[in-house]
Amino acid sequence: MFDLIGKRRWFFLFSGLITIPGLIFILLTPFSGGKAGLAFSIDYTGGTIWEVHFRDGTPDPAAVLAVLADQDLKDSAVVVTQSPRGEYVRLTMPPIGLIEAQAAPTPGPTVMPAPSVSASPSAGASGTPSGSASPAPSASPSPTPASAGIELPTTGKPGEVAAALEAAFGPIDDVSQATAVGPVVSRDLINQALLLILAGSAGILAWITVRFHDVRMGVAALVALLHDVIVVVGVFAILGTFFGVQIDALFVTAMLTIIGFSVHDTIVVFDRIRENRFRHAGEPFSSIVNHSLLQTLGRSINTSMTVVLTLTALLLFGGEAIRVFVLALLIGIVSGTYSSIFNASPLLVVWHERDDRRRQAQLTSARAVR
Amino acid sequence: MRRLIPFLIVAVGLLALAVDLLPEFPRPSADPPAYAETRLGLDLQGGLGGEYQALTADGSAPSKGDMETIRTIIENRVNASGVAEPVVQTLGNDRVVVDLPGATDQQEIRRLIGSTGRLDFVPIPTGTTPPGQDQPIDPTLPALFAGSEIDPGGVSPGFDQQTGQRTVNFKLKPDGAQAFADYSRANVGQYFAIVLDGTVVSAPVIREPILDGSGQISGDFTTAEQRRLVTTLKYGALPLALKELTFKSINATLGAEFLAASILAGLIGIGLVFLFMLLHYRLPGAVACFALVYYALVVYAVFRFVPVTLTLAGVAGFVLSVGMAVDANILIFERTKEELRAGKTITTAIEAGFNRAWNSILDSNVSSLITAGILYYFGSSTIRGFALVLIIGVLVSMFTAITVSRSILRWIVRRPWARRAALYGMREDEFTATAPRGRAREAGARV
Repeated sequence: MFDLIGKRRWFFLFSGLITIPGLIFILLTPFSGGKAGLAFSIDYTGGTIWEVHFRDGTPDPAAVLAVLADQDLKDSAVVVTQSPRGEYVRLTMPPIGLIEAQAAPTPGPTVMPAPSVSASPSAGASGTPSGSASPAPSASPSPTPASAGIELPTTGKPGEVAAALEAAFGPIDDVSQATAVGPVVSRDLINQALLLILAGSAGILAWITVRFHDVRMGVAALVALLHDVIVVVGVFAILGTFFGVQIDALFVTAMLTIIGFSVHDTIVVFDRIRENRFRHAGEPFSSIVNHSLLQTLGRSINTSMTVVLTLTALLLFGGEAIRVFVLALLIGIVSGTYSSIFNASPLLVVWHERDDRRRQAQLTSARAVR
Repeated sequence: MRRLIPFLIVAVGLLALAVDLLPEFPRPSADPPAYAETRLGLDLQGGLGGEYQALTADGSAPSKGDMETIRTIIENRVNASGVAEPVVQTLGNDRVVVDLPGATDQQEIRRLIGSTGRLDFVPIPTGTTPPGQDQPIDPTLPALFAGSEIDPGGVSPGFDQQTGQRTVNFKLKPDGAQAFADYSRANVGQYFAIVLDGTVVSAPVIREPILDGSGQISGDFTTAEQRRLVTTLKYGALPLALKELTFKSINATLGAEFLAASILAGLIGIGLVFLFMLLHYRLPGAVACFALVYYALVVYAVFRFVPVTLTLAGVAGFVLSVGMAVDANILIFERTKEELRAGKTITTAIEAGFNRAWNSILDSNVSSLITAGILYYFGSSTIRGFALVLIIGVLVSMFTAITVSRSILRWIVRRPWARRAALYGMREDEFTATAPRGRAREAGARV
């Protein structure tokens, strides 16, 4: 029979090779002040994104940047995106236009509608000829009829930026999205992400330990899934450093989904180990684990295969907006299958053998004393 | 019990179909009557949305009651503005999330939501012209009374037949009515201002004394201005100031593109899973595919009935859940093959396959529920949508992947045509397709 467990050092080595570079790039994130390592989207950093279409042709990104710099928005980025509806320009700017706690009064035109108040007719006091109402034009921008398009703000800082862009490059005739995220949300998200991953890991550790009555299985499963988390975050730290791939608010969702799913294969193997320990009682633990691994190998791969199939379809055809999310899931699921087979169970064997040796040593020392 | 299960499956299936297809399937709701509906999130149908934080003066966490008041007031304001199906929810300790599918005018909406709504009635001193609409008021002017003196039930839009002007009727509570009566009696011809958050909403002239607290503001309002004034008077002040944390607007065309892309991707993904199951597991694979279709119909029915707001991530979660739902069947079929190779008949092998795989299936699904539950409990609104889809998917799949495929397989393997090794992807010599009789049948029932 093929000896998987005997090659465990190679598997651990391979896991080391794929996690350590990632880990280095993850750690680069705080030490390089955000220049290398994970690249965060505006969900985390705060910022404004507009995706707009210019009627008179797509301007040069550098020229757009210059206009933004004139507006004191120096830390901006501009890229041209393709969509079925034509070329759009995506502007990523510092957060602008969010309403502060107390709505600041905006100076507008001073034409006054001059309404009047009177006792309501229902009270019977009415009947006064209303000569006092002066016909005055409305002072507020009249609401436009509902259309598919959304509008950029016309007042405040965003209004100035939009006006400057239109002055330089001609009218903006379509806006596909406009999003502003303040810095408060961002700080929340990073703390929240760590909390979620911790809580998820603790939950799985507890559940496996309770179900298998063995804390060693719980810990082995936990190590395997932390391996997956590090692999995924590490891959994105590398992608972020070299290709500027940004992680967004959904990234942590992918992490938790991976934590929940990657343990599925581990559970299948552990379940079989538990069954075989009764069936083949007396055999060495490592050969029981090896046997169980080989028996369940096919289904471990097949169950991941179905998920990989659906995720690949989403990755290729699901559109750009969820691509990072789906890619994270895909990497996590593949890593999860690997770590379940090649890390969790071999780790269990290492632990068991160490416990056995210790027990043996205690036994011999006890005999020696006697 | 076992006899009842096929009926249960058919009943649930028919019910799901009804919810999926009928345009007006009622769901429990107080008033007005509600119907099952496919609710799409902002990113799939376009619209406006924002997240707001309530700020207390001393920085302490706002009370649950205050948050609920804020939620209700914002909901009322937005409803009154004519946006269809707004969703206003509180999140965590101090957040309010507002989603307005289909809305496009962000300036108007944001003014409605973000303004604290501290409403004051401010007399304008004799001889001064009142500031115009949307102008700041001189903050040193004392207010006659606050917006809390307005009786919300007495505020309504109206129309003056004689002048052809839109009007807003209002009614004051006793204290306010007394104050206004005293003031208006002495100040006919003077202006007073209705001030919202320090900005003038309307500054009418007092034409006659208003003695019983019922008054009417008339002027050259547009419909929108009239509606805004009604909303302001009626739903008044938020107990706390709001800070805008995020605001997003998404074009409906873009949303439609996202929706089309995710439906296409979903269909391709599910198609690939079908192909895989049919090629690899043959007859049981076909049963699993049927169970998957059933699963999709039931999950969609649950989405419509709850209703769950489907976002881009939610649709991805649903497609992912299809890939996960079939996993239970894979575990069962692999185990069944093992049992067949161990010499069991097909009937007993299938029963053993289901029973032995159950532990792993339950443990796996619970671990998914744990992480999805954590996401739902702690997550922000986008994350919660995804988590809810995953939770529903896992729960429904426990029913369909096990009960539905088990019942169908039980029925199928009793047919003579179904007892061929090739249908199970097995070799003839691994396959013992004898009909279970006597002791074998009992054994099959016991396992």
